[in-house]
Amino acid sequence: MKLPPGPARRALRCVAGGASLALVLSGCSASEDVVTLDFFQFKPEAVANFSAIIDEFEAENPGIRVVQNHVPDADTAIRTLLVKDKTPDVLTLNTNGRYGELAQACVFADLSDLPVVEQVRPAVSGIVEDLGSCADGEVNAVPFSSNASGILYNRDIFAQYGVEVPTTWDELIAAAETFEAAGVTPFYTTIKDAWTMGPAFVNLGGALQPEDFFDRLRAEGPDVASGEVSFSKDYPEAMEKLTTLYGYGQDGAAGRDYNAGNAAFASGESAMYLQGSYAIPAIRAVNPDVNIGSFPYPATNSPEKTVVVSGVDVGVSIGRDTEHPEEARRFVEFLMSPDVVERYAQEQSAFSPLATGADTTDPALAGLAPYFEDNRIIGFIDHQLPASLPLPQYLQALVLGGRTEDFLATMDREWSKIAARTIPNEKD
Amino acid sequence: MSTHVSGPRTRMRPERRAPRVFYLMVLPALALFAVFHTVPLLTGMFFSLTNYAGYGEWSFVGLRNYVNLFGDDRIYGAYGFTFLFAIVSTVAVNIIALSIAIALNGRIRFKTGFRGIFFIPNILSILIVGYVFNYLFSNSVPAIADALGITSLTTSILASADTAWIGVVILSVWQAAAFNIIIYLAGLQTIPTELYEAAALDGASPWKQFTSITFPMIGAFFTINMVLSLKNFLQVFDQIVSLTAGGPGTSTESISLLIYRGGFQGGEYGYQTANAVIYLFVIIAISFIQLRVLQRREASF
Repeated sequence: MKLPPGPARRALRCVAGGASLALVLSGCSASEDVVTLDFFQFKPEAVANFSAIIDEFEAENPGIRVVQNHVPDADTAIRTLLVKDKTPDVLTLNTNGRYGELAQACVFADLSDLPVVEQVRPAVSGIVEDLGSCADGEVNAVPFSSNASGILYNRDIFAQYGVEVPTTWDELIAAAETFEAAGVTPFYTTIKDAWTMGPAFVNLGGALQPEDFFDRLRAEGPDVASGEVSFSKDYPEAMEKLTTLYGYGQDGAAGRDYNAGNAAFASGESAMYLQGSYAIPAIRAVNPDVNIGSFPYPATNSPEKTVVVSGVDVGVSIGRDTEHPEEARRFVEFLMSPDVVERYAQEQSAFSPLATGADTTDPALAGLAPYFEDNRIIGFIDHQLPASLPLPQYLQALVLGGRTEDFLATMDREWSKIAARTIPNEKD
Repeated sequence: MSTHVSGPRTRMRPERRAPRVFYLMVLPALALFAVFHTVPLLTGMFFSLTNYAGYGEWSFVGLRNYVNLFGDDRIYGAYGFTFLFAIVSTVAVNIIALSIAIALNGRIRFKTGFRGIFFIPNILSILIVGYVFNYLFSNSVPAIADALGITSLTTSILASADTAWIGVVILSVWQAAAFNIIIYLAGLQTIPTELYEAAALDGASPWKQFTSITFPMIGAFFTINMVLSLKNFLQVFDQIVSLTAGGPGTSTESISLLIYRGGFQGGEYGYQTANAVIYLFVIIAISFIQLRVLQRREASF
């Protein structure tokens, strides 16, 4: 009897080849020299995309099996795994401040000698570098896809009410007023999920904060109250503008979460939506025909000052102590091959981090793409905040009717307390 | 028994001691308890003296974590919420459970069926039930209130920092009542029916029967329920994760949730472990005091 190659035959041969319990438990890898890679994948929207990529990789590399593990709340899950000393072989993580903390703790392998590192756009690899690494010159994550955070809008609704894409803050407010007067919700807001206030915060805060705000704040350490820069001194305008935008949300926003927001925006319940490019696949999953456009936050009345917030949405890393470094590198190289990266960017409405990559053709991103080409990009400022500072929760309390002064004072106080109790290791 | 009449010089006879084999039989349990409980506890206490983030390198910081804890108003906020929640829930769950237990102990139809139904919440996972309640509070209740014109309930109670804790209390009491009912039922069945017959002959009202017979007779069960409920509610975690995730803002952040969040998500493992060690002693102290006070009351009737 001949069976086609694949799991069925593997299992059968496994049983035939003296099925001791240990072999069965280990997936029969020992008997066939199949290496199983534990692949930690953080993005719930992309499970199917990665499954397809893994199938192709396994077809080309019969000796390697990749098991995709996906859990909700990946940031917590990875920390829990690390506490248990179970670093996955290959992992994708949102390249944010938490990634930076892990990289500095030397959790990830050095990938600087991977050929593909050279092919990444320097501006993009710079974002990852700034977050920190185990040692100078090490590359602990390769950027797989970039995102952009702006305001999404419904082109059809804009056309219906004759509203132009706003380029200044006053035009944005005027547009919101027009929609509200016409009975259309200007922004669909989702206050139940605390993190969804983050995009507006990083855009307005990032555009309006003084130069080197976080470097100076870090230098002040615990003495924020008496220092030169602080949230209370430098963030009132950004926070006033944030609460203004949330004032144009729909009724009952406090009980609506991210999924509800995606569904509502997809079915045309609001003219605009305060979410980044990463939400587009989820919105299209609800309504593939929705006519999405995008524009950057016009934080001021000077259009030339407008910037787009961009980050590395997905970074690929290898566990530092993986038992299969060779196989892990082969998988990472496969992931980073241009056609895999390009196809993923297309499918997930993301930007390709590769220098050779074509510019995005997604109409939903057309409003943000020029800012990439002109390099008018800033990073996510919340990546500069320590993870133990519960920014999303504080933003949520503010938007639900808190006072701006209280929010800013809390931010300063928490920053100062965390700075005071963070005791660095003595480096040897 | 002959030992009772022995004089002052007589020693305890060998057969009064537990045979050695009994000790041997306890050993496996003791070993398991040590491995899965005592060792992790001591490891935690050790890490509370370090700046360990949960991964990577760490160094000793002495008692600095403990000192910093006392200046952290976020921790005071969590203590405030947890104690408010635990006390309200303990009182509510005991009143409700005792009432239902007395009803289920009476001469009613389908008694066994009802007992089964009232026990169901105890076997369901809190997380799953929590997400169901979450949906009810966020969508169903406002929709019903809207239809009935009750304006005060048209927004989800979980959406306001002032009312979200009530939602957590409702879920927790609903879930915890089942277990307390069972304990009260067990207690009620230990009361001899003759007492009620005699009381009825003397013309005692049902309320009098409850205060003079029922409640004193189940004193020990009341004590255990009070102590266990308060301890469990002080450790509230799943209910909050599934219902409010500590929000809105940090208004329903319990101490357990804060320890988990700050320790695992926030990378302050050492610091939050110190918080956990202090909380352990707080819970032990409260349970101990509660037990002493309630047991004294028990003995006094």
